[in-house]
Amino acid sequence: MAANPMHQFKVHTIGPEIEISGVNLSFTNASLFMTISGVLIIALLLLGTREKKLIPSKAQLLSEMLYNFIAKMISDTAGKKAKPFFPFIFSLFVFILFCNMVGMLPYSFTVTSHIIVTLTFAIFIFIGVTILGFIMHGFKYLKIFVPSGVPLVLLPIISIIEIISYLSRPISLSVRLFANMMAGHTMLKVFGGFVISLGLIGGWLPLTFSVALTGLEILVAFLQAYVFAILTCIYLNDALNLHH
Amino acid sequence: MTNLDDLKTRLKIAKSKLQKKALEKDDKKKGVFLGNAFKLGSELVAAVAVGTIIGFILDNWFDTKPILIIIFFLFGAAAGITNVFRAAKRMQEQED
Repeated sequence: MAANPMHQFKVHTIGPEIEISGVNLSFTNASLFMTISGVLIIALLLLGTREKKLIPSKAQLLSEMLYNFIAKMISDTAGKKAKPFFPFIFSLFVFILFCNMVGMLPYSFTVTSHIIVTLTFAIFIFIGVTILGFIMHGFKYLKIFVPSGVPLVLLPIISIIEIISYLSRPISLSVRLFANMMAGHTMLKVFGGFVISLGLIGGWLPLTFSVALTGLEILVAFLQAYVFAILTCIYLNDALNLHH
Repeated sequence: MTNLDDLKTRLKIAKSKLQKKALEKDDKKKGVFLGNAFKLGSELVAAVAVGTIIGFILDNWFDTKPILIIIFFLFGAAAGITNVFRAAKRMQEQED
């Protein structure tokens, strides 16, 4: 068996090694696929918004649907106050979606299957939302750690639990996306390996599994991008509309 | 006679198409369930991990090796269950 199921997650540099003051800044396959996703997004949106027809072309339809989808999600979960954050949520969702989908192509690399990428997203969101909460409410923002209607005796314990629960947000957000992507791609590779090793006679069963799993993986890729965006909206809502 | 036969085959095709659609829907539902299961699991695990890490750091600070890590592990578990509870509540609201 030549195929190692974890080999697909290996990051290697493309072109020369670049090192600036001890920091490795080489162009890797991860950066390549991030760039590809970015270029694809820009191409789709430019194509979709180039000419505004009454009867839309496919690209225009797709970009309009994306816009409506995110706009509805934000207004449903975070209310009108979150409208200024539309560009952020939109780019976040579309970037994760495209990274996941580009990763579904054979021979490609899934950027979101690395914890460092997803954790960076999540920590940025976490810090941003916390700062936003303090800007909007001042020190009253600390009230989210003190739920109303709790007896004074229990308050210290509840507060500690609330703080831990608040701090666990970026971890659960990032681990979910990373674990889903990595588990799915490993599973696909393992079943693919079975097809080869079982040969012409027994290989058909894992092959059908592989096909079914690919469909499921595409669904998961979309779903995880959606979950990531909607949880960002929920955290934004907590910061904007303080109530507990 | 030919008309009836024609109708029969058309009915058959339509029925198989409907079945296929139902199967696809089932698959979609399965994906949503899988997503929800992952969501709840990661909520629980993340809070426990964060609690334990906080306990570990505080233990190193105050030199009270095993005590705080145990206490904060329990706090983390409590926070995790609170998280799961809240997430499940949100899911229920979404379904209604």
